[in-house]
Amino acid sequence: MDAAWHIIQDGLFAAIAAVGFAAISNPPRQAFKWCALIAAVGHATRYVMMTYVGLGIVGASLLGAIGIGLLATLIAPRVKCPPETFSYPSLLPMIPGMYAYRCLQSFILLLNAHGQADYSYYAYHCISNGTITLFVILAMVIGQWAPILLLNRISFSSTRR
Amino acid sequence: MLGCGASCIRITRNMGRMAGTLGLAVDLIILPNHVSLTLTDETTGTSTHSSCAIAKLPISYNVNTRLSRLSWDVAEGRLSLRESEARFREIARQSSTVSKPLLVILVALANASFCRLFGGDWQAMVVVGVATVVGYLLKMCMLKHKVDLKLMIVTCSFVSSLIGSLCYVLHWGATPEIALGTSVLYLIPGIIYINAVSDMLTNHYLCWLSRFMQALIMTACIAIGLTGGYLLMDIKMFL
Repeated sequence: MDAAWHIIQDGLFAAIAAVGFAAISNPPRQAFKWCALIAAVGHATRYVMMTYVGLGIVGASLLGAIGIGLLATLIAPRVKCPPETFSYPSLLPMIPGMYAYRCLQSFILLLNAHGQADYSYYAYHCISNGTITLFVILAMVIGQWAPILLLNRISFSSTRR
Repeated sequence: MLGCGASCIRITRNMGRMAGTLGLAVDLIILPNHVSLTLTDETTGTSTHSSCAIAKLPISYNVNTRLSRLSWDVAEGRLSLRESEARFREIARQSSTVSKPLLVILVALANASFCRLFGGDWQAMVVVGVATVVGYLLKMCMLKHKVDLKLMIVTCSFVSSLIGSLCYVLHWGATPEIALGTSVLYLIPGIIYINAVSDMLTNHYLCWLSRFMQALIMTACIAIGLTGGYLLMDIKMFL
């Protein structure tokens, strides 16, 4: 019961985040509800994979993003919108913001490090957080584009009347 | 479509679809600031060339969606050339689908939810929400006065990080680091990064590099503003 509540909570906050970030990219009004649904499913998938299956953040993000791309491609023809309209805002809550922040933070500290031990410590955090950030972003984008490109006949004719 | 945040593969598909209907072959060269287009009549072999600067527009998936629908209407003969030109101008004039006050509220809720997803407590969520409202209002004001984009990002990042540091300064909650880190994330050019990677995957390397560099510079501006906030509030960073 506790696990279900955590998964629902994760999906709910991802949906709110996706709707807000979607609003910045000015999508058609009918796209908002789909962005919320797709983001909730994608983020909850990543949460389940990381928390209950034991996958790392890169693999879990890849699976979550594949789910997002697949759902966006299948919903796009019904709403007559390109799949990217739903998949891009739905991906944004998965951006590894805290890893990027820690990478940046350690980079700033690196500039003022005194001595080899301090320097090595901050360099380690800068590189490790930066590497995770880079690979999570790559996994997210490749994962969401894979279904769009593989099902390209659906993806690129989704706006056809 | 380029100005509004569409990926290169969608733009080339749309162009090819419309040109194919008219019996034309299309060669599209997309450069960082310009587009060059050559149309060749496949029966006579005559060609015409045109190039223009890429419009600097805010990202709009509403405009992209409607332009994509327009390309199908042209390709399937539902619109004459004159009608499609009129439709194009009408789409280009489209305003935002969300009112400005609602946009600010949605972005603030989104960033506060982002904070929660990273493990922030409710104090951190409140601080991030307030930092986002103030930063986003400032961004809209600076955009209205046509302030330079980089200066705008540095300023908004600085102001949001000052507010985001309240959890540190006033010892609110147990996750001040998450509040400060998340307070500027509404400025991250996520769509540009995603488009950059999609261009890379579809062999549009010049466009990939151009978009990636643009996003990188914007991220560096966020970092400058954030560092300014750290220094002013004299925050002792730890990992």
